[in-house]
Amino acid sequence: MTTQLPLCDVAVIGAGPAGLTAACELAESGRDVVVLDEQGAPGGQIYKGVEKVFADRPQDIRPLGREYAEGKTLTRRFRQSGARYQPGVSVWQITSDQEPDLALGLIENGSARMLHPKHVILATGAMERPTPFEGWTLPGVMTVGAAQTLLKSSRLLPEDDVVLAGTGPLLYLYVMQLKKFGIRPQAILDTGPPLSLRTSLLGLRALITCPQAMFQGMRWLWGAGVKTNMTRGVDSLKAQGGDHLSSVSYEARGRRHELSTSLLLVHDGVIPNTWLSMSAGIKHHFNETQNCWVPEIQGAGLTSRDCISIVGDAAGIGGAEVAMLQGERVAREVDAYLEDHQHPQTSIESGVLRRQRWMRSFIDEAFPSTAQFQSPENDIVVCRCEEVTAGEIRQVTERGCMGPNQGKAFTRCGMGPCMGRKCGLTVSRLMAQVRGVSVQEVGHYRIRSPIRPITVGQLADMESILKGDNQSVLSANSS
Amino acid sequence: MFRLRTNLTDPVTFSFEGRRLTASRGDTLAAALLASGVFIFRNSPVSSAPRAPFCMIGNCYECFVQVEAMGVVQACLTEVTEGMQITKVSNQIDELGMDIKEVSKE
Ligand SMILES: Cc1cc2nc3c(=O)[nH]c(=O)nc-3n(C[C@H](O)[C@@H](O)[C@H](O)COP(=O)(O)OP(=O)(O)OC[C@H]3O[C@@H](n4cnc5c(N)ncnc54)[C@H](O)[C@@H]3O)c2cc1C
Ligand code: FES
Repeated sequence: MTTQLPLCDVAVIGAGPAGLTAACELAESGRDVVVLDEQGAPGGQIYKGVEKVFADRPQDIRPLGREYAEGKTLTRRFRQSGARYQPGVSVWQITSDQEPDLALGLIENGSARMLHPKHVILATGAMERPTPFEGWTLPGVMTVGAAQTLLKSSRLLPEDDVVLAGTGPLLYLYVMQLKKFGIRPQAILDTGPPLSLRTSLLGLRALITCPQAMFQGMRWLWGAGVKTNMTRGVDSLKAQGGDHLSSVSYEARGRRHELSTSLLLVHDGVIPNTWLSMSAGIKHHFNETQNCWVPEIQGAGLTSRDCISIVGDAAGIGGAEVAMLQGERVAREVDAYLEDHQHPQTSIESGVLRRQRWMRSFIDEAFPSTAQFQSPENDIVVCRCEEVTAGEIRQVTERGCMGPNQGKAFTRCGMGPCMGRKCGLTVSRLMAQVRGVSVQEVGHYRIRSPIRPITVGQLADMESILKGDNQSVLSANSS
Repeated sequence: MFRLRTNLTDPVTFSFEGRRLTASRGDTLAAALLASGVFIFRNSPVSSAPRAPFCMIGNCYECFVQVEAMGVVQACLTEVTEGMQITKVSNQIDELGMDIKEVSKE
């Protein structure tokens, strides 16, 4: 019965640089590839809206930058690759290894259907690290990535009173882009530490091996620092307001300051989006340097499940360049596996890829995550959905709660619609601090399907599909 | 918060809580609303505190809105179309919450 369902060789989840590259390679070598993405257009986070910008707003290409414009080459190649593209589709389930068949549960326009690939490539990318602090749930407080997304896809520009706070390359890239659109933020509150000797040495190595990327980074930092109100060593960030943000306060060099503003953008680096890989039962471990959970990868993208590969930032933060290089390697690996069901001898990482990794170790060192967000005070809400505070998490842990799953039962933390995406990292960290053990030992929420809220009605649809009453057909590269 | 846009390319008309608004074709609902000066999208089902889009990439679920004929959607992942009627959700969130619990039971 299940064979009546739509089939394909490879389903790629995520149409960012990693997923698109892997899909192009496989489709161009004759594989039947379906690319699924919940966004409306290809490009992923970095190249969001790139086709639309080229078609409707060519004047915006320059201020958005050369790296952004390069995305067009990739999306053009993808459109011609023969891969079937399904935008606006959310993947909410991958069947477990207990099930006889590999299948994906999809939602599109509110209705559910299934897809049966022989192999799955997860290219789900990254998300911004949670930044719990006083007032972070107020309207008027959003992430830097959110504001940058609004700029790329809809040309939304902040008013001049905008304040940016936190740390990480994305923050400085955005400031640089704003500058080219003629906007000078009211203030940049950098929460990062001063440059250490170790960081400088790693920086030197990166400068020698990846001069282009380093110069680009320096341009961003320099561009941001010049003629903007940048303050370093910022701590105790707070957002205040009634129904909407009205002011931001912070400490710097031992003094408290306050700024009135209607928009505060925060950022503290990005972490892999592991909700699908975790729900598929793939092994993960905690990476202390990058302060995030990462799937365990062998070869280019192999996981503890033979039929699932992971590529790009979803496999560990490496940036778009690495995502594309990895996309090629993973495609070769998957192609060979589909041929004879043997895992091939993995190709050696190229010199380019190795140099990119050195660059990344400098970035990891230069932009460590912000201490204030890693250990929020007791009255700070950590779970935005259920409004559970850091104090409640500490209290249940002191009373003997061993990990986040048990914590759910006592506090409801992580049980809202976001399913722990905005609190998972914080809760594990807080529990580890109280217990005096590693985050690895405390563990992460157990993630199960559905990884997106799905209604009972949609589930019923799925059951009727499985019974064969309802056939849904995939259309070819449509929109 | 954000500058109001002028000279919209290919404008579409939609409404939020009965207010007639315009956006550019291809905007997400979240972009369309923020660009029109709508700052409060919903209220927290726990404390009724106001909430608005936070991540814009489908992860925080702060952007839930009710769309006629579609139900509750994430405004940052849904494209605005001509004549769309959008309203705030509050109690519906609870319903959705129940559904989640229903299916993710052990
Ligand atoms: C908001 C944001 C903005 C960023 N902007 C930049 C930038 O301007 N420049 C830069 O150098 N780096 C940026 N980054 C870093 C980013 O991670 C890049 O390194 C790059 O986009 C990673 O490529 P990728 O292919 O691994 O994943 P991504 O580009 O993140 O693509 C992943 C895709 O998977 C889709 N997806 C995820 N889960 C599902 C699911 N369950 N169902 C269906 N589809 C799903 C997403 O919609 C997304 O399109 C940004 C990150 C974020 C979070
Ligand atoms: S704004 Fe975060 S899910 Fe839409």
